[in-house]
Amino acid sequence: MRTRAVLTSIFASVGVLVIGWQAGSAAMTSTQPTRTSSGTSGTSTGTVLGTTTATAPAASGAADGSYTGDDVNTRFGSVQVQITVSGGKLADVTALQLTDHDRRSVQISNRAEPILRSAVLDAQSASVNNVSGATYTSNAYLQSLQSALDQAGL
Amino acid sequence: MRSVFETMGTVASIELAADEPDALDGIRGIFADAEKRFSLYRPGSELSRVNAGERPLAAASAELRDAYALAMDWHLRTAGAFTPNRPDGSIDLNGVVKALCISRAGELLHSLALKDWSINVGGDVLCAGLSPTGDWVIGIVDPVDRQSLLCALPLGEGRRAIATSGSAERGDHIWTIDRDTAAEFVQVSVIAEDILAADVLATAIISGGIEMLDLATDTWAIDVLAVRTDGSLLATPGVRSLISV
Repeated sequence: MRTRAVLTSIFASVGVLVIGWQAGSAAMTSTQPTRTSSGTSGTSTGTVLGTTTATAPAASGAADGSYTGDDVNTRFGSVQVQITVSGGKLADVTALQLTDHDRRSVQISNRAEPILRSAVLDAQSASVNNVSGATYTSNAYLQSLQSALDQAGL
Repeated sequence: MRSVFETMGTVASIELAADEPDALDGIRGIFADAEKRFSLYRPGSELSRVNAGERPLAAASAELRDAYALAMDWHLRTAGAFTPNRPDGSIDLNGVVKALCISRAGELLHSLALKDWSINVGGDVLCAGLSPTGDWVIGIVDPVDRQSLLCALPLGEGRRAIATSGSAERGDHIWTIDRDTAAEFVQVSVIAEDILAADVLATAIISGGIEMLDLATDTWAIDVLAVRTDGSLLATPGVRSLISV
């Protein structure tokens, strides 16, 4: 029963996180008023019933492992989260799936982060059909990689 | 089958599955009409005449007013990072007109029931269907060495367009919001479903820096590869997954 209580409280936290994310998005698009977190968090706690991939629960607290929540519908699409419990405490929350209203998967965070040049260069083997770069002038085109591609394809 | 023609001070490269003279004539016409109306290099263009005070904006053609309204709409949506208003008060619609023409050219090909094609104008690409070799694979120029590619990634459903802007273009139609701040990015590529959004946002990020980059990736369904002034890279999760394909 204690396991259940801990899980419930964890999923309630997840609900709050989801709402926080909604509030953030709402501030961005400012098309709809932000809901109060107390009202919705009750709903989230009720609808998110986890399926667990953890091993047998320990005597006290939730067993260490990953727990996957059900899909929760938000006004921005459906979201599913996975939590990691370590030492009976919530250690990590990962968004497994978030789809927009067209059922396309989207990321909760789409921010650009540093990436090494070597990491992108590795993928250069594919044959290229077109080149994207800052706009070249008609004169500079003659020396451009696009010009070489065009001549090959003419 | 590839066709190349000069327009808007740069070069258009169109790839179609077969020889389609009518489609190509139509595309040439779309660009020629826009150039006649919007070019700042032709003193007789409608926009040059508006800027010279020979014609009030309110009395301009619907096409010109629509393009200006669209550019102002993006001005608001990007919190001012994108603007059609030059510091000297004149109007410059180069930031939307090329992408609008690419978009219209795509609609024309679609209306002619052509499924597989790509349109590249000055490094901004819109594609549909498949290339002769499968996915449309786009190489992004390395701004440090423009003869080499930074990476290659496939376009496809949901991300049919890519536009790249560079800080070297500033003074053309890009101005930094805070003129005391040096540009944070030398080159920004934006991948989107829509070529206009890709082009406008690439320009806006060059102009507005990291703040605009975060606003853009938070607000629109886009992917970005940005090159900072020291040559290091920033990439969204989508770019990471595309280049590892």
